[in-house]
Amino acid sequence: MKEKNLTPTPRPPAPIKREGELSSRTRGGFLPFHTNAFDRVFIGVVILIGIHLLWLRFMEPALPIEAATVISLVIGYVVVRKG
Amino acid sequence: MGEYISQMRNPRTGWLLLSPTLIILIIFGFMPFLYVLVVGFFDWNVFAAEDGMRFNGLGNYRRLVFDDLFLLSVGLTIRFAVFAIVSEVVFGFLLAQMLTRNFPGKSIFRIIHTFPLMIAPIAVGAIWRLLVIPGFGPVPFVLDRWFDFTYQIGTYPDQALATSVIMDVWHWTPFVTLTMLAGLSAIPREPVEQAKVDGANRLQVFWYVTLPFLRPVLLTTVFIRIMDAIRTVDEVWMLAGGGPGTRFTGIYIWRVTSPGASADWGYGSSISLITLYLTIVLCWLLFIAISGRRKGEVE
Repeated sequence: MKEKNLTPTPRPPAPIKREGELSSRTRGGFLPFHTNAFDRVFIGVVILIGIHLLWLRFMEPALPIEAATVISLVIGYVVVRKG
Repeated sequence: MGEYISQMRNPRTGWLLLSPTLIILIIFGFMPFLYVLVVGFFDWNVFAAEDGMRFNGLGNYRRLVFDDLFLLSVGLTIRFAVFAIVSEVVFGFLLAQMLTRNFPGKSIFRIIHTFPLMIAPIAVGAIWRLLVIPGFGPVPFVLDRWFDFTYQIGTYPDQALATSVIMDVWHWTPFVTLTMLAGLSAIPREPVEQAKVDGANRLQVFWYVTLPFLRPVLLTTVFIRIMDAIRTVDEVWMLAGGGPGTRFTGIYIWRVTSPGASADWGYGSSISLITLYLTIVLCWLLFIAISGRRKGEVE
């Protein structure tokens, strides 16, 4: 009869944290707190919706809504890359 | 044993165990959200001459940001939520502090003070309506006779708001007290005693020891209360009927009672989404304010 291996499987080694980094997935950018990728995308979407609503209310007679989309996409890109 | 452990650590086992919850969440949470998201971009009025949905782009949202009654209801809802939640947290914390000490009749008090939690919101609204209705309730009578104060929630919107806040505080403070009590009971004694030995006064102990330990509980409680307060309908509607006139109409009261919003499903969906957005933004800002780790701070 084959003997079962009773020793538990060893866990993979924990990733080494770099200085100023809370975990392998969070980081500090220009935002005043540490974020992971989901946080930054979420912040980008919140900003996108907010800019569009404010644009509809105050700016649309002067500039079309596409301008708000461009601005919010640029801001979203900056937040995701550098936030 | 080792084989069992390695099987349990297998990601596939994790997904398998999570799958019932995920399926329920997708069917009852995510799919209705997607449906509302799509309908929000359509014109779909059940009383319209033409049947069915017509694509409207951002039309519903454009209509929404210029709707004065909607903007008024957003402002009122935020005022109601801020006043109610701040009061509930303060009273809830003080009551929880009191309940951590021993005093005669503590068990009876603890039971009695949780009674409002057992009452349905619509019944809470009915009870308070009986208390404050002019010409019938005892509150206007006593205020008029003893303090010569005219109290009519059907006439003065500020009084309607204040009464709704007091009613909400009466209803939900016990919930905050219970969560705070759980949080306070979980605080280890050593850091508090150490701070006292180091010469910290009561305020410093509260600010530097108790409050940081309470932070997760505080955050969870306030999140739950924000979500509840923003979508309050029944008790406030029962109390004042969204009045006087339309002067005390919260977002959801307006969503349910306004003919434009309740018959036009596209417009109604856009209101629901904006309310969700408002809730998320408020919760997120609060989360950052309370728990956001700033640069240089150690986890």
